[in-house]
Amino acid sequence: MPGTPGESGRVLHAQLHLLDRQLIDQADGHLAGKVDDVELDLDADPPVVAALITGRERITARRIVGIDTAVTVSVEDLDLDYYDDWVENHVIAKIPGARHAAE
Amino acid sequence: MKKVLGVTLGILTAIGGFVDIGDLVTNALVGARFGMHMAWVVVVGVIGICLYAEMCGRVVAMSGRPVFDLVRERLGPRTGLLTLVASFLVTLLTLIAEIGGVALALELASGVHYLLWMPLAAFAVWLVIWRVKFSRLEQVFGLLGLLLVVFAVALFKLGPDWGQLLHQATRPHPIGHEDWATYAYYGIALFGAAMTPYEVFFFSSGGVEEKWTRKDLVTARSNVFVGFPLGGLLSLAIMGCAAVLFLPAGIKVETLGQVALPVAVALGKLGLAIVLIGVFAATFGAALETALSCGYTIAQYRGWQWGKFVRPREASRFHVVIIVCLVLAMLTLLTAVDPVQVTEYSVVFAAVALPLTYLPILIVANDPDYVGQEKNGPVRNAVGLVYLALLTVASLAAIPLMIITKGGQ
Repeated sequence: MPGTPGESGRVLHAQLHLLDRQLIDQADGHLAGKVDDVELDLDADPPVVAALITGRERITARRIVGIDTAVTVSVEDLDLDYYDDWVENHVIAKIPGARHAAE
Repeated sequence: MKKVLGVTLGILTAIGGFVDIGDLVTNALVGARFGMHMAWVVVVGVIGICLYAEMCGRVVAMSGRPVFDLVRERLGPRTGLLTLVASFLVTLLTLIAEIGGVALALELASGVHYLLWMPLAAFAVWLVIWRVKFSRLEQVFGLLGLLLVVFAVALFKLGPDWGQLLHQATRPHPIGHEDWATYAYYGIALFGAAMTPYEVFFFSSGGVEEKWTRKDLVTARSNVFVGFPLGGLLSLAIMGCAAVLFLPAGIKVETLGQVALPVAVALGKLGLAIVLIGVFAATFGAALETALSCGYTIAQYRGWQWGKFVRPREASRFHVVIIVCLVLAMLTLLTAVDPVQVTEYSVVFAAVALPLTYLPILIVANDPDYVGQEKNGPVRNAVGLVYLALLTVASLAAIPLMIITKGGQ
């Protein structure tokens, strides 16, 4: 399936270059899940990528900052860290030393 | 100096991955039963792990992506999940064996039963992962693990008939009343021990932890080509010691104490002390590697934040996986299963999981998106394919041979 010529003008193969890729949060460089699915806008000609799906969140195409060996996205108000935060608050943060870098 | 320290990653991976509880037990066991007639498997294993670890190192240095990241990307979610389940279970089984090994080493040194040491060992592993920086962890256990060189010293001191050992090594067939099925079964175990999947998970994730870039390509390669062959030589020394001492006497190796015995015979109390520290360091280092690898595989498959390069709370799910795995390891060992037997099974199951682990590495090492100009050449690809075929045969034959030989009885 042909992909979209993004702002860089690069033609991407949606399945090969997007599906199952690592997501990176542009703000802090943290790993933010995988691209579980790709939503295509089939009304456009040629069809373009409308959004990336990860877990229960939908990342619209305009939030995609860069596509390399990982996909960098502008997370802003999306809650990609929901489960990680839950585990952090209920388990990990209660163990002494969780806030400090290793020595 | 920094370069010299950089190589310790390779040495740790080699000592921990090559000479961990799996290799200590399997090499001694094979040496006692088959002499050096199976030494060639170690050589084949070393070449294989060098080949594939080098590809991993290159992919990490050029793209910053570790192995399991790629497993899902290249195999898709379904086959990726199968690979995850298989590799994770094998790594967990290995972790159980390593923790048992640490506790057994402490029992040998203190006389206190290993089951009493075991919770302490598991807690210490967790504490080190929780608090100690990645680079320090690898330097300390890498260097201490080098004490296992004492097996080579012991082999010389035992004054073997070198001609006879060489004679055995050049004749790859079963001896005495052993049959071909048992020979093949232990060959696969030895191969599995040499190419254990967690080695590449740990090596490539370690490259990310160390923030390798294109400039570190030389470090990555020297790690592979110094570390793994060194591990292979240690393996052969362990096998040689058992071949010299146990084979003529017809003694089977069933305990970790027997693995260390040749060193005590050759070098006395001092030798015994050194070998016990070496075994402790190698198994503890490997326990760290396997515990981390349990976290690496799941987190990388799911895309979670992982690693020791961020604070624990920033990679909370990664740390929870490690804690859960250590608790599972502890509970399993508390059922009083024999850690040496767990080890024997872990290396065979490792062989089963091998092809799925190594296939994506071979694919990605040819993808310019990941490695740019540093693609595999035709020779590397040809050898890589030969190994993939070999791994597949070993993987398919492992379980049937386990059944036929009743686990190598």
